[in-house]
Amino acid sequence: MQEYEGIADYAISYGLKQGFDYVEAYLESGGSFSYSRKQGNPNSSYKSKYSGIRLRLIKKGSLYTYSTNIISKERIKEAFKFSGFKGEKVGLSEEKAEKYSYKVKERIKVEDSYESAVKDVEELDKSLNGLAYRSISISLGKYENLFVNSEGSRVYSEIPYISSFILIIVKDANDSRQKLIQLGNTGGYEVFKWEEIRDNIEEEINSLKKVLKEGISLSKSQINGIKNVVASSEIIGIAVHESIGHPLEADRVFGREAAQAGTSYLMPSNLGLKIGSKEVNIFDDPTIKNSYGFFLYDEEGVKARKKQLVKKGIQNELLLNREYAKALGTKSNASSRSDFYSNEPIIRMSNTYLEKGKADFEELISEAKNGIYIKSFTEWNIDDTRSFARYQGNEAYIIKNGDIEKPVKNYKLEKSTFDFWSSVYLLGNDFNLYAGTCGKGEPQQGVPVMHGGPSALLKFGGK
Amino acid sequence: MEPSDILKILKDEGFDEAVVSTSSTRSIYIKIANSKVDSIVEKKNERGRLFVSKEKKVAFSNIERPDKQSIKLAILNLKQAINIAEPKPDYYGIAEGPFKYRSNFIFDKKISEISIEEASEIANQAISEFDVENIAGTLHLSSYTYSIATTKRVEASTMGTEARLSLRIFKNGFSMQDYIASRQLKEIDVSKIKNSISMLEYTNDTGKVKSGKYDIIYMRSPAGLLFSNVNDMACIDSVEMGSFLSNKLGDKIANRDLSIYDDGSIESGIDSSPFDEEGYPTQRTPIIKNGILKSYLHNYSTAKKYNTKSTGNAGLVNPSPNTMVLYHRKKKSLEKLISSIDKGIIVTNTWYTRFSNYLKGDFSTVPRDLAIYVEKGSPKFVIKNLGSSFGIGIRISDNILRMLEKTTSVVNDTTQSTSWDSDSYYYTPSVLVEEVNISTV
Repeated sequence: MQEYEGIADYAISYGLKQGFDYVEAYLESGGSFSYSRKQGNPNSSYKSKYSGIRLRLIKKGSLYTYSTNIISKERIKEAFKFSGFKGEKVGLSEEKAEKYSYKVKERIKVEDSYESAVKDVEELDKSLNGLAYRSISISLGKYENLFVNSEGSRVYSEIPYISSFILIIVKDANDSRQKLIQLGNTGGYEVFKWEEIRDNIEEEINSLKKVLKEGISLSKSQINGIKNVVASSEIIGIAVHESIGHPLEADRVFGREAAQAGTSYLMPSNLGLKIGSKEVNIFDDPTIKNSYGFFLYDEEGVKARKKQLVKKGIQNELLLNREYAKALGTKSNASSRSDFYSNEPIIRMSNTYLEKGKADFEELISEAKNGIYIKSFTEWNIDDTRSFARYQGNEAYIIKNGDIEKPVKNYKLEKSTFDFWSSVYLLGNDFNLYAGTCGKGEPQQGVPVMHGGPSALLKFGGK
Repeated sequence: MEPSDILKILKDEGFDEAVVSTSSTRSIYIKIANSKVDSIVEKKNERGRLFVSKEKKVAFSNIERPDKQSIKLAILNLKQAINIAEPKPDYYGIAEGPFKYRSNFIFDKKISEISIEEASEIANQAISEFDVENIAGTLHLSSYTYSIATTKRVEASTMGTEARLSLRIFKNGFSMQDYIASRQLKEIDVSKIKNSISMLEYTNDTGKVKSGKYDIIYMRSPAGLLFSNVNDMACIDSVEMGSFLSNKLGDKIANRDLSIYDDGSIESGIDSSPFDEEGYPTQRTPIIKNGILKSYLHNYSTAKKYNTKSTGNAGLVNPSPNTMVLYHRKKKSLEKLISSIDKGIIVTNTWYTRFSNYLKGDFSTVPRDLAIYVEKGSPKFVIKNLGSSFGIGIRISDNILRMLEKTTSVVNDTTQSTSWDSDSYYYTPSVLVEEVNISTV
């Protein structure tokens, strides 16, 4: 990285001399090791190293992003031939010029852990022996980034990470159940607690087998008749991400993603919309230590902070970058990210969650009295405006007279966004975050995120 | 450096086999939002990739940039990766060349040389063709050169270009999205999108539908998005990992008039190439022929494992699909297809297609744009089960094997298409699938 710092600085000074209104340079260097196994056998191993530079330039209000892996003055000069275009005129909010450097601490360095990763994956794989189908992949690496801009910001970061995908499928003569588990954290190799991971996966397998063997199928009218739903933190997490986080991204609200990742039920004309019950407080916070969506400064050099997206059921902050902060006459809340140096930074979530409450899990179940407990999901989807989502239950149980009873094979939680969040009645005192890869933009960018919250009782028939 | 030069360096490193590839790409993305050119992204990259095997161990590395220092580092990375790896018992090597390749793939110099100013003018021209509430979209132009050399006497290179215009048009509180895609810039004719969005004229009448079974006309883009899952799941590693096509070779799994191919050899196909990632020539492979599951997709190694021939789908470790081509013997005009429907829905775009059960093929997907209710042979109204501005409020929840069986006819409108929700292209007509489960808000 150090060898290219001079090129980044050169880009800023050269761009200003060429009369550009704004210039930023973003250097990225990374390396990773990946290993995968399928059906109990090794599949492949991959070790990579890359670096590149991205310039974002504004000339007469026109926004242009140029990226290359050939980090040279010649290539930089090429970018500054840009002369503007007929179209949108972009401005950026005024922000403090930041000078900061940070590295995420590693007790066990990821680059010293490749052999350990292979051994740990092998051990996990052995414990899955006997399943109908299984695959495991792991990736560990490090991103190094330097951001400089023509306003004097200079932010350096070094973030190690580990991620893994585990697919398990159980099967009997007539049916099967599947689960794709994604794990992800930032930090050294120590952040993956393998014993805990193995225990959790064993529990998932036992649950899949139980639903497969004992699960009953409900009729459509029985499903429609269910009014009280206890949703686990896994269900709450995906709902927070899909139906709150995405629609509160300012670029969607203002139509910039309309042909790509979509629109939003929230529009410039209905900001401050009531979305849920007064129990609903939702945050996005990139500063959570070791989280998969961790960062301290975003890719416009703005200092990250915890944002409250929904306050007592009312839409509060949007996720903002400098462009949309300017449009709204406010400051950016540091939500600008890309998945790779070569793509443009756009507004993204980080770690998004529903604030927990005080109720014990048993209290949620007894308060539900009759209904369903949905513990995990398989497929899910949501419409373009983020108004109509479905979470297909993977593991769900009937609640009868305040007790958890038989498992259910085919429960689908299919509700409008406003029904879902307005029905939040009681919040659990548990709390979990789940790793995910969030897609947006064109070309599609997948960034690491987390989503979660507590278990919650939702009463769809009112109180 | 050329791949053959890099290969010479690798030969002294003690690997059994090696595949070296290098590429040079230039891409321009012009984002259209709120009926204006919003921003432009331009990318220029020169990269490479190495694959090696040694005593049945396999490993990859990338070449950061095509210079000696990067290659040296890539080889060090390879050595580390292969030392850590265990032997892959079902690995049987790479394809033995040399091969003869077709050379008629289209390369449009205009795309490779286009300036940012010219590209933004094309986007502005496209926007000016429409008199609507709002347009959003992307104009994407890219070009590449790709070269490969292997220790099994393969040495080849190819060039390609891509032009894609995606526009989402908003009118009367509804939206429609369509795509034009070609290897040639001159094929990017906005009038084709204008024709296909003429359905927005139906938006004067709106109504709600109930959950139940409907005959569905999937227009090209959602048809391709759905049925390209067949090609993904026909890759042998998916089959081994549990796919709705597992253990069904030779079975009737689709309507007897329906065939689905994997084809990497279409000269106008954006995803086409003369050869796959190990240099084996691409071809047209029937996956489903007249309703019968005929073939899975293989590279050389997996083909050898199953005592068959490569289908030109390397992926060096796991095969990957080329372009999905859907063919049906019963073709009608769109008007005739609509007139044959008693109770149905025209679906113009979908996204978030997710499988709850890979083995059985259970899935759901969400209509994203305009959906038109059809009754007794005529379009009746545009579906609006949601109160919010552009929401449709219906969901397709069914099984892909049932979709394959119930695809009873198609429109004679095949063209190369894609979707925002897909990273590949497909050649498919609009299709009629009978008795599809729909759920509503």
